[in-house]
This record gives sequence, C-alpha cells and structure tokens, in this order.
Amino acid sequence: MEKVIEVKNLVKVYGKRSAAFTALKHLNLDIYKGESVAIIGKSGSGKSTLMHLLALLDKPTSGTIEINGVDSTKLRARKLNQLRNQSFGFVFQQFFMNPNDTVLENVMLPLKIAGVRRKKRKELATKALHTVGLEERLKFKANDLSGGQKQRVCIARALVNDPSIIFADEPTGNLDSTTGDKIIKLLFDANKKGTTLIIVTHDEDLAKLCDRQVRIMDGEIVEDTGAKSQKSSKKPNSQSKNAKTSMSNAKPAKKGAKK
Amino acid sequence: MGLFEIIKTANHNLFRNKVRTFLTILAIFVGSFTIVLNVAINAGVNSFIDKQTASLGGDDYIMITSSGAVGMMNSMMSTSSEPTEYNPNQTLSAMNKEQLDKLGKIDGLNPDDFYIAKQIPVEYITSKETDKKYNITVGAMPPGEFNIATTAGTLPSQDTKEYEITLEPGYPKALGFGSDEDAIGKTVTLVMLDTMTNKPIEFKAKVVGVQAPGVVAVNGSIISRALEDAMYEEGTKYYPAEQKELVYAIQTRFDNSKYTEDEIKAKLKEAGFVGLTVSDMMGMIRTFFDVIMIVFTIFGGIALLAASIGIINTLLMSVEERTREIGLDKALGMSSGRIFLEFAVEAIALGFWGSAFGVLVAIIIGNITNTLVHAPGGFLEALPTFNLFEFTPANVIPIILIVMFIAFLAGTAPAWKAAHKNPIDALRYE
Repeated sequence: MEKVIEVKNLVKVYGKRSAAFTALKHLNLDIYKGESVAIIGKSGSGKSTLMHLLALLDKPTSGTIEINGVDSTKLRARKLNQLRNQSFGFVFQQFFMNPNDTVLENVMLPLKIAGVRRKKRKELATKALHTVGLEERLKFKANDLSGGQKQRVCIARALVNDPSIIFADEPTGNLDSTTGDKIIKLLFDANKKGTTLIIVTHDEDLAKLCDRQVRIMDGEIVEDTGAKSQKSSKKPNSQSKNAKTSMSNAKPAKKGAKK
Repeated sequence: MGLFEIIKTANHNLFRNKVRTFLTILAIFVGSFTIVLNVAINAGVNSFIDKQTASLGGDDYIMITSSGAVGMMNSMMSTSSEPTEYNPNQTLSAMNKEQLDKLGKIDGLNPDDFYIAKQIPVEYITSKETDKKYNITVGAMPPGEFNIATTAGTLPSQDTKEYEITLEPGYPKALGFGSDEDAIGKTVTLVMLDTMTNKPIEFKAKVVGVQAPGVVAVNGSIISRALEDAMYEEGTKYYPAEQKELVYAIQTRFDNSKYTEDEIKAKLKEAGFVGLTVSDMMGMIRTFFDVIMIVFTIFGGIALLAASIGIINTLLMSVEERTREIGLDKALGMSSGRIFLEFAVEAIALGFWGSAFGVLVAIIIGNITNTLVHAPGGFLEALPTFNLFEFTPANVIPIILIVMFIAFLAGTAPAWKAAHKNPIDALRYE
C-alpha cells in the first residue's frame, strides 16, 4: 500500500540555546493511504506539534516529511500552500469559522483560495454541505449555528476540496457525546471513501475507533499499533472503498529509531 | 482569486466594523476635501487670470516705452525729497522716428506689428436716449489676438471703415438702452472739444457689443481703428508735424518662440527701452493666489497625514481582530503575498472612499458656492466670467490617485504584519 506520509528522523526544537525545548525527538512514522490514525497524547506531549508538522503548518528543525513521495522540506512556500490547499482538509476543536460569513461562504473558503470559479465553488460547497446534512442551512450566518452544526460545517469545509488527508484536532472536544458521535461518523464516512484520516486526541474512546493508534509521550512515540488489516494489502493498487488497507512496517518506534 | 475578488473581499472586510471604517474614511475625507477645494479654487483663479491675460493680449504681448518715460515717472512718484540730477536721456519721454527705427531693428520684434497707442481726449459720451453725459476712455485694439469676453455682441472688427464701439459694462444702462442686448445696433455720440475754440465735435458710433466685466480693462471702451484714426486726427489737427510723429508707447508682439519675456526685456533695456508684458501686469495677482494655495495645500496635507495614521491604526486593529481568520486562511493555503495584498487593497479602498467622497462633496459645495457668489449680492456678482471653483477630471482624478497611494503606503505596515502572522500561533487555542 502506498505511503501518503513518510516521516524520517523528525526533530522539532522550540527556542534557542539554554531556553531550547525539544518537542519532538527523532520521530519516524509512516502513514498509508486510507488509514485512520489516532495520535494520542497528553497535553504537552508533542502531539499537536507533530500534527502541525505533518500538516505542513510548521517547519521541522531537522528530519524530513514526505507527502506522497515528495520531500516537503524542499518545497517552496507557494508549493507548500498549494499542497495544503489541495491535499489537506482541517477540522479543529474550536471550529475556526468566519462567524459573520454565511455557512456557504465558510465552506467555499478553500476553493476561493484555490481560485475556483464562483459557480463551481457554489456547486462543490453545496455538495459538501449535503454530505454533512446541512444543505438547508447554507444561507445561515455561521454564528447562528449550534456547536455540532458548526463542526459539521467545518467537516464540509474540510471535504470540499476532496482532500487526500484530513487532519482533525480534537474534533469532538467542544461537543457533547451525542453530537460528537455524529461528527465522528461523518469523519469515518469520509475515511471509508478512501480519505486518510489523522485524528489528534487525548480521548481514548475516540482513538479506539481508528485503525491505528500512535501514542506520544515527551516527544517520542511510545506505542504504535500498526495497521490493523494487513490482508487487504495483497491488492496493491486497489482504490478500495474499504480503505483500511494499510500495511505497515510499523513497529513501536523508539526514539532515534534506526539510522 | 482574481483582483476583482480581492477588491470585493477588501470592501466587505472594511464594512465589518462600520463605525471604525467610517471614522477613518471621514479623516481621509477632510484632507481630500480641503485639497480638492483648494486645487479647484486655484484652477478657477488661474483660468480667470488666463482669460484676463488673453484679454490683455496674451503671452507675446509687450508694451514698449522709452526708458526716459519710465525714469520720469519714477522721479515723479519718488518719495525722496532730494532733487534729482538732470539727465538728458531721462527727459526724453517720447520716442522719435530715429528711436522707432532702432526699436524695429531689435531681434524678436517686427516693426510691421507696431501699434502706436494713441491718446484720444474724449470729453464725454451720450446718446439720444438720455440727456446725461458720461466720462469715457476709448481706444482701438492693438494688433493680434485679444480674447475679450462680451456679454452681448462682438468687438469692432479690425479693418472696418465704419465707426464702431464696444462699450464697457454699465454704459448701456447709463445711456438709456436698457439691457446690454438692447444696446446693440444703437448709436452713441462721442464728443471731443476743439482745442482752440472749445467747440464740441461729435462722432457718431454704432454699438456692436458690450464687454464682460473683468478685473483689468484694456483701453476702456473699444472703438474701431477707423474711428480712432478720425478722432486722433481731430485731436492733433493743430499739432506741428514733428510733434505728431512723437510716439509715447508701442504695443506689439514679440517672438516668444525665440526669446523669453525676460530675454526680450533685457534686449530692450540695453537699447534704452522698457518692455511691459502681460505677466508683469498679472504677476502680482497670481503670486498672491499662489501663496494662498500653498498655505491651504499644506493644511490639507497635514490633514491627510493625520488620516494616514488613522489608516495605520484602523488596519492594525483589524489585523489583531482577524488574527485567527488570517491563520485559517494561511492554514488553508493562502499565500503571505495574497494576505498582504488583501490588507493593502483595504488601505487603498479606504483611501479611495475617503477621497471620492471628498471630491464629491467638494464638487457639490464648490458649485453651490459658484452659484451663490454670482447671485445678486454675491461678492463676485460683478465678475460673471470668474468661476471661483473649477473642477476638471484633470485636477480631481490625480488627487484621488495620490490619496489612494498615500493610503497604500500607510497600509503596508499593517499588511506586512498580517502577512507574517504564523498560522500556528494564530490558531493556537486560547
């Protein structure tokens, strides 16, 4: 199965000299197409740093991150922006919507940034809102929605550019369990259609729903369950709808791993 | 996103905080408004002065006297109580034939264009419609283009054999013709006195036009060459031939493609003559208005400077408020350049709205003022050709563009700040 993300020897240091703090210590991690991966860790463990680096929102101090075989550390800003815009979808705990814009405007944002024509934008955004069951709310101001609805809008926004990877940072953190379940279902629906799902969470129950759990502590991977279903990996190039097909060399990665 | 979309987004963002945006625009408005009115009044004054200049003969017009005449005038007007020493050159106030020939040889002057200004001692003017007699000064037009505005009719033609007159404003009414239009075609009587017998000698002239009021009159009421020659002949009929030849002043044109005003005046001075150009006559007025213009432009500039600080402030606040939104935009792949552009365009839009409203209100107020000052009782009632404020695309559009540019400069710092926001910091919780 093809790797969508390949992390090698990743180090992230914040601050300088005596004030330096190493948030990630020589991490290695491969994520395969169609996987659902939970990155679990306590506050301050480095899980958010890892997600930011994987999502190319930040640059590592050393090490490489290959996205679909391309070394992202060698990409220019323009290409990085393009990659984030076209290949990634983001779902945040705090939603991050433009509260005074309509639901439709919010969902169209990634397409607007990509330079998609307005008519096409509207069409795709409406489709995405249909997927999350909010097609009747598209004229609403984002502010007038409930928390669960807001998160559904965010999922629609994450889906609208048909990304290959969705990053979800504590997607249910601000929601009650019933609405949280709906959100989780939507995320896994997308995952079933082939999108790689990376969830950052400290919620063990949510983590268990994923194919694979990667546990981080003090900037190191202390547990990696590896891909669950190695069987399906026998059909290499399949665009299987049931995409839980990642095969992995994943072993519980230790710090510094193999050089 | 295309440029149009950026402009739309920028405007949309501006009007999210309406009060703040409105106040910023108001500040820009005040500065632009001051400058626009100022430029318009300058244009109005200059175009009026230009009209006056044209009515005085234009840029190549020059009046030449012998330097003796000026010297005499100076000594007459001198406040010094000291007796001045005798100087034979300075007593010669008139030019004789010899001097005229000398003048004709000066490069840049053409003796064929010399017009000898004649003194016509008119005693009074009257008409059949009135018993009253009025003082009047008359003269013909020197050669060349004189752009003299009329409220009715035209100027006497240069080469007519008829006795024609274009009256100064006010005369038609005084002479009992009613309106200016009514005076056209009527006959007026100009009366001279025989220098020996004091008997009145009448010249009948047809009114062909009425001059528009202006600051500077040319030669009083304008008469046709034929009438002037006849009246001059009458006035000098007892003069000895030698005296008839004496010339006090020459009105002519100089070749202004070859020499500047200062150069021709220097050449004349060298030869013992003094030249007086239109700008000598108009220079004072222009300088006066130029100074006022500079002062008010400085006021407007200060207002704009204050307004640009307002722009910086507004946009900095906006950047802070929208930190999270900027972070999201960047996370979703928007480039720093695009974010810079969005904020820069917001600044430019502020500049545009402020200056556009400034221009609009200035045009409205300027035009109302123009109407008011020319209404009966207004302080420019007597000068209908003087438009106090003149608005043209050429003087208004550059102001809008300059203000937009200043706004852009003011916007660069906040825009740079926005563009360099780190998406992670922006999206960090709490």
